[in-house]
Amino acid sequence: MSNMQRSWLRHFHLSESFGQRALETRSMAELHIMGQIIGASGFPHSSLFCKWGIHTGGAWRLLSGLTEGQTQVDLPQIGDMAFWTHPIDLHYTTKGLQGWPKLHLQVWHQDSFGRCQLYGYGYCHVPSSPGHHHVRCVTWRPLGSWQEQMAQTFVGGGPQLRSPDLIYSGADRYRLHTVAMGTVELQLGIIMRHFDRYGVES
Amino acid sequence: MAANSPSVFLLMVNGQIEGANFPEYDDLYCKYCFVYGHDWAPTSGLEEGISQITSKGRDSHHRLVWNFPLEITFKSTNPFGWPQIVVSVYGPDTFGNDVVRGYGATHIPITPGQHSRTIPMFVPESSSRLQKFTSWLLGRRPEFTDPKAVAQGEGREVTRVNSQGFVTLSFNIVTKDMKRLGYDTTPTETAHTHSVVSGVGSGDQPLSM
Repeated sequence: MSNMQRSWLRHFHLSESFGQRALETRSMAELHIMGQIIGASGFPHSSLFCKWGIHTGGAWRLLSGLTEGQTQVDLPQIGDMAFWTHPIDLHYTTKGLQGWPKLHLQVWHQDSFGRCQLYGYGYCHVPSSPGHHHVRCVTWRPLGSWQEQMAQTFVGGGPQLRSPDLIYSGADRYRLHTVAMGTVELQLGIIMRHFDRYGVES
Repeated sequence: MAANSPSVFLLMVNGQIEGANFPEYDDLYCKYCFVYGHDWAPTSGLEEGISQITSKGRDSHHRLVWNFPLEITFKSTNPFGWPQIVVSVYGPDTFGNDVVRGYGATHIPITPGQHSRTIPMFVPESSSRLQKFTSWLLGRRPEFTDPKAVAQGEGREVTRVNSQGFVTLSFNIVTKDMKRLGYDTTPTETAHTHSVVSGVGSGDQPLSM
């Protein structure tokens, strides 16, 4: 459902049954996440972009916003930090604290020929207290065998995860051997609503 | 509607575009505009503006200063679509044409108080070297047709950009009725005592769950 349709539906419900709809949203806790993926630094080359996504548990329902996206490719002229300033704006409602939203990222490098190479995976929890937060997300890359590493220095490429779930889950991580890559910086603002009615302190 | 329970909250922004840091360019001016969601509406103040043209001072280490005022108040029923300010910086190229030197955007801060933001500015890159040369020669650089596209996350997968400067803004934020509507923008030590006090006297309806 597009954002336009969602907000239309919301207005329709409000005008039709204001009391009931208001009571529905009044009984659930709501979380707003607004901010941006500022950029990344500490990677070997600078022509970078980022694919991001948000994962939540079953008790959370998305009311508005996009849960995944891809930033532009930035080649910085000053310094070596790539800046994306990619906006994130999400509105969740929840019945429980389990499955607090997690933001997962994949940083890719695009060279002058348009080929893309994975530079790092990373994830961070969305901050759980209201206000402004500057989050630094560290990233890592899977390391192959020494033959694959040698091929990688000449030809590029390299091993990638088959499914992105492993970026933010701990199960089966013991099978991986990884190497550290750079850091992604995010600026997130969190607004929480009605959490205090359930006795939640944050 | 009930007079004692508000349904909208207000956000008042007072601030300025202080200046910019562009090592390679001089004689720049900026334009700003606000981008916001469907539930928001400006109630007073200016939504757009163009600043003066400024040059780098002799001793100021590549700093350009605009000191350009921002004053606007929004009302809304929903924090989704929180306003963003989009800044575009323009300047002359070697032939004297006005070309874009950077686009940047940031969300208006959500907590009351004084905030300072430094935003990186980027320009779209030409898709080939030939196009880069012709655009340098003719003075027609790649631009966004609508600067508001900078504030959106969709459709950015195909753009290649170069970031080449920073703009510094400062904000003073005041909000009204956000706490009464149940929104917390500050952590619990201040919010918890507030809710204990208001819960005693306000007579909220008991929730059915």
